[in-house]
Amino acid sequence: MSNTVKDVGERLIAFLPNLRRFAISISGSRDLADDLVQAACERALANAERFEPGSRFDAWMFRILRNLWIDHLRRQKTAGVQDDISERQDIAGPSGEREAEARLTLKTVTEAIADLPDEQREVLLLVCVEEFSYREAADVLDIPIGTVMSRLARARKNLAEAAGITETSARSQTMKGVN
Amino acid sequence: MTRTDFSDELLMRFADGELDAATSAEIERAMEADDELVARVALFIETRHAAKTAMKPLLEEPLPADLEAAVERMVAEKLAARNAPGAAVLPFQRGGANDRRASRWLAPMAASLAAVVAGFGGYWLGLGTDPVPSGLLPLAVSSPALDAALVSVPSGEERQLPNSNQRFRAIATFRDSARALCREFELDSADRSTVVSVACRTGAEWRVAFAVVAPGDSGGYAPASSTETLDAYLSAIDAGPPLETAEEAKALRDLRGGT
Repeated sequence: MSNTVKDVGERLIAFLPNLRRFAISISGSRDLADDLVQAACERALANAERFEPGSRFDAWMFRILRNLWIDHLRRQKTAGVQDDISERQDIAGPSGEREAEARLTLKTVTEAIADLPDEQREVLLLVCVEEFSYREAADVLDIPIGTVMSRLARARKNLAEAAGITETSARSQTMKGVN
Repeated sequence: MTRTDFSDELLMRFADGELDAATSAEIERAMEADDELVARVALFIETRHAAKTAMKPLLEEPLPADLEAAVERMVAEKLAARNAPGAAVLPFQRGGANDRRASRWLAPMAASLAAVVAGFGGYWLGLGTDPVPSGLLPLAVSSPALDAALVSVPSGEERQLPNSNQRFRAIATFRDSARALCREFELDSADRSTVVSVACRTGAEWRVAFAVVAPGDSGGYAPASSTETLDAYLSAIDAGPPLETAEEAKALRDLRGGT
């Protein structure tokens, strides 16, 4: 038990860059993300004894952080606070009228990811960026694996469309989108 | 005959390697004769790759210093709090730079810490009810006797501080990440409490960067729990390996003005 605590502490520090990236991606703001990361670390340390040594540490941390984020959103909703659009733009720049603009200008992949609906973005992050299996992602997000698959497929279709990764010329367009 | 009614979701599972072998083989066969199908599968491969590449810079961004420091402090505090009164003593484990202290452990002993004072950059986070033994003040070392001991006693040796009932034991000398010279030492008081401390040289004075007070019955040796806290601190400040005897002698000689 005690060694688990020490273990969690050490892994936590090593995992900070990944945790922060996930926080930035789901919150859309660096400031919010840093608060979230700090709160998640606090909670993880407070519950360090409950971490099961054989299980995935990253999954455990992402889950903690995401739950804190959901709490935050709920509180905001209760308090009637509007999602600050300017904060959202912190990561990817202005998105403008999503539908109209998408047809006119291609977005960078980063912008397109930032513009995805939250539920699609988090699945995309876990599977495509953090390389979780569908099952593992389902566990972190507390949703059925079928939901992971449908959201992930939609996320990728949307991403492809927004960033100009088209079915007919997937390869060449992606290279453009990436670089 | 090939099937062309594969759903997007199925093709995605194929691209992600999350599809059973039989269906995968079926799609592979179909792809041989169907360029459009190839493009649909490629879309999922490309989006995955594009997302991963696009998010990579965020991982490489340097962490905000205060975030990193706050988490390191939290971890150190957690380790310290875990060893609060009543907690069991842990098996003593250390490695690398801290091997030097292994020989100090004669036997596991019941540990209770009267006060934990974990400092980062000389900042005292909290102090219990027990007074810190005289000579050790927050931030600066004010006792001339302690100051003299810090610049002269080689690691591994101990000395009675003149005009005091405190016993000084030098444990190690190392440099912190800013290359400042730091000394890890223990100070036993008449009431048999032991302070495990790290002081770093700042300008012409020693500053206490870390101190844990272990109370009464520790028998002249700091209990394991206090040094675990110290370990957490040392790794948090990225302490260098302990200086060799000759290096240490030279560093201390330099501090004394080359005499």
